[in-house]
Amino acid sequence: MIFKKFRDSKLMSKLMLTYILLTVIPISVLGYIAYSQYTKSIEDEVGKYIPQLLEQANNNIDNQINDFKNLPDAVYNSSQVIEILRKDAYQTKSTLLQDEFIVNSYLSRTYINNGNNDILGVFVLSKGRMFKSAKMNYKGFNKDSFPMIYGDDVDLQGRVEIILPSQTDITFENNVPFILFMRELRDYENQETLGAVFIAIQLSFLDEALKSLDKDHISSIWIADQNGKNVYHTNSDLIGESDENYSNYPNINGSFRTTQLAQNQLISRNELSATDWTLFHSVALQDLTKETDMVRNGTIIVFIIFVLLSTIISIFLAWNVSSPLNKLTRLMKRVEQGNFNVDLPINKNDEIGILANSFNSMIQKINQLIKKNYQIELRQKDAELYALQSQINPHFMYNTLETIGYAVDEEDKETVTKMVTLLGKMLRYSLNNKEKLVLISQELDHINDYLTIQKFRFEDRVDFHFDEQIDTSIFYMPKFVMQPIIENSIKYGLEKLEPTLISISIKKTNNDELHIRIEDNGPGIEKEVLTKLNHSLGQNPMAKRSSNFGLINVHARIAMIYGSAYGIRVESEKEKGTVVIIKIPASTNREIG
Amino acid sequence: MKRGLSMLCSIIMLLIVSACVKGAEEDLYKVVYKSEEVDIEVEDKQNTEYSIAIIPKLINIPYFNAVEEGALKAGKDLGVHVIYKGPRTAEPSQQIQIINEFIEGGEVDVIAVSANDPEKLVPVLKKAKQHNIRVITWDADTMPEGREFFINMVHPETLGRHLMDTLAWNTGEEGEFAIMTGANSAANLNEWLKWIKVQHKEYYPSMSLVEVAATDDDPHKAYTIAKRLIADYPNLKGIIGNSSVGPPAAAQAVQEAGKNGEIAVVGLSPPNDMNEYLKNDAAQVVTLWSPKKLGYLTVALSRNILSNYLPYDNQDIPGVGKIRMMNDMVIMGEPIDFVKENVDQYDF
Repeated sequence: MIFKKFRDSKLMSKLMLTYILLTVIPISVLGYIAYSQYTKSIEDEVGKYIPQLLEQANNNIDNQINDFKNLPDAVYNSSQVIEILRKDAYQTKSTLLQDEFIVNSYLSRTYINNGNNDILGVFVLSKGRMFKSAKMNYKGFNKDSFPMIYGDDVDLQGRVEIILPSQTDITFENNVPFILFMRELRDYENQETLGAVFIAIQLSFLDEALKSLDKDHISSIWIADQNGKNVYHTNSDLIGESDENYSNYPNINGSFRTTQLAQNQLISRNELSATDWTLFHSVALQDLTKETDMVRNGTIIVFIIFVLLSTIISIFLAWNVSSPLNKLTRLMKRVEQGNFNVDLPINKNDEIGILANSFNSMIQKINQLIKKNYQIELRQKDAELYALQSQINPHFMYNTLETIGYAVDEEDKETVTKMVTLLGKMLRYSLNNKEKLVLISQELDHINDYLTIQKFRFEDRVDFHFDEQIDTSIFYMPKFVMQPIIENSIKYGLEKLEPTLISISIKKTNNDELHIRIEDNGPGIEKEVLTKLNHSLGQNPMAKRSSNFGLINVHARIAMIYGSAYGIRVESEKEKGTVVIIKIPASTNREIG
Repeated sequence: MKRGLSMLCSIIMLLIVSACVKGAEEDLYKVVYKSEEVDIEVEDKQNTEYSIAIIPKLINIPYFNAVEEGALKAGKDLGVHVIYKGPRTAEPSQQIQIINEFIEGGEVDVIAVSANDPEKLVPVLKKAKQHNIRVITWDADTMPEGREFFINMVHPETLGRHLMDTLAWNTGEEGEFAIMTGANSAANLNEWLKWIKVQHKEYYPSMSLVEVAATDDDPHKAYTIAKRLIADYPNLKGIIGNSSVGPPAAAQAVQEAGKNGEIAVVGLSPPNDMNEYLKNDAAQVVTLWSPKKLGYLTVALSRNILSNYLPYDNQDIPGVGKIRMMNDMVIMGEPIDFVKENVDQYDF
């Protein structure tokens, strides 16, 4: 359907479409592939790079957490503290308070005042007693409100449990985010439980470790526990919230990207080995490719410019091809309507120029041929008309009829009969217009008839004779060629007192030409007139001129039929006579050409 | 022209649409880079299916009773089945018999033995190994080819030298002293003995070792020997009990002889047995580690090797604390001295 439409559409549209498709499609495909490959490679690059960063950060965090996990061990360093913790009962309140003082100050010395800024507080629960030391004010966490599961009966088998703020009622000043490391205090020697130690750690240590991951502040970083709850988030409002997508994330250490969101994210994750936590890093793909977007936009602009340019060029090229063709079509239509005066002015040497040139010369040739045929036809008609005119010339008719009348008076029956017969023959010859070419013998017969009639009239004043050196019944010549010449000879010859002698000879030359020579002994032609006449004969036979001038008419007809090499030549000398030589090819063909 | 544009548009639309269709078929998340799959932990075998056999040198003495207590607690904590079975006397042959029973029973995964003889037990332990039973030793070692590693309570040099020191403190670094060891064949005792002698030779020239007597860890025999030593050596200033049976027997003998404070009694013994003697000066210092801890550690490490998790230096064993590792010897910790001031803190 489309292809049929395409096939039938204009050449210009086709060319343009082709050009545009050839430029736009490869460029756009190339551009698209290049851009998508580029962004993909950035994605891959970053997707590879961030997990490495995460791993490093995780190593730091792991180390820190492991350090924190080892913090409770310091309690074992003091045998005095262990001894106190081993006690079950007190005799007096003061001994209890003394023990509390000893342990509390040990905790302060060991944890709070040792320069580790991350520790917010240390709490030891043991057999109904609570020892504590805190860096800042806190609320909650007294032994009554604290849930029993974290109390004395805790049995972690030596593991360290991490408790999130949401699981306790303890809060510190300014709501400092923190986590609690809980560890059972075990009397290794007696294999009994002494109690539990809780160390509150400020989350700022994570800030430190994760700071380097988000220098540009375009990404979110969070740490989720095994249930997807955020232990830490760069957006502190989200700490303690749950990530509903957590369970859907691919179970890998690496990177993945979302595919369904309006703003797709590249998410990297890495599991912490010290805990069940997972570190996440999420950045919008858009932000990653921000810089390439500039390049992309630039490319798109260049692409549009390129498309526009190529469109313009394609329009120009297509126009360049199609406009001469359109012109040609228009001109052809005009030619079709009969106007041959057209010219395709294209001065180029390409195929279009060649076509235009050929067209021009063809039209010219057609025009010439038409003109030539037209002229030939015209001359022929002229000649026929002339001959007819001269035969039905009232003067000729009158004279002839008068001559016939005299003959009737003299009762010269024979002469009358002959003359009437001749006149009839002449008229028939004249009226028989079908052939343009006639056998030379027919034309000679006609001349003979004409001269015989004139001889009847002028008797001795006119004489003539034929000299046929060839077989005149096989060669052809144009009709009515000789009569105008002979009429001239008689017309001018009669002006002289001497009898007019007209001799007609026909011969064939070596180069296959027939020369019909009509010679008279008339008064001749003045030299100036002769020059003028011959000059006229030498000119273009197609040129329009007076048809009264019989010689020129004859010459033009011959030249038109056989070419300018043929025609008549006039030789004359004053008082001596005139020779008119008709030169035609020796043709046995009765058609022209 | 217009047609050409519309055609171009339709081609581009086609590309976009096809891209969209492709997108819809993909998952919610597309993995870009994967460094490793996160292991979803697979329990290799249910803990309760594991059986660990703990074989002491003998049963029914306080020291090994404390070990049993610790071992059973560990079994409970770690969820493994602990079988504590030992001979009535410290005889290698009885241990061999017990081990053979375990092999034939085919139910235990680990045998942890405190060897009464370092060499005699090796063949049967090798046999156990052929039956896909992991073998470790604790308390008293065998030849290395018989086991994977040995759990020592303290470093033998530290302990041996320390025992000598505790005696020297209480005798003013002079006078005659005797040593009561356990079985002559017990590797650990002999090792300690060696270091006691080294320390003696190096630092205490005024002291003289008069006799090393073997008690075979028999309390009654030990008591008899102690009495004999006090009788045989009137100038005796001190007795070192090199095995846990020694100090109580010696202290009893000293007390009965009315020589409290005159003959110093030191050595290896659980504090509970010595509580009374320490308080009435029949004994001055006893040294030991926590046998409960030892039992606990033995079970914990046995459990670990079943997951092919071998001990390493500075490993933190839950319920035990940090351990040391020297070649194929695990060292549980430092020795504890029990004196009358602190003896009440300990319950074993």
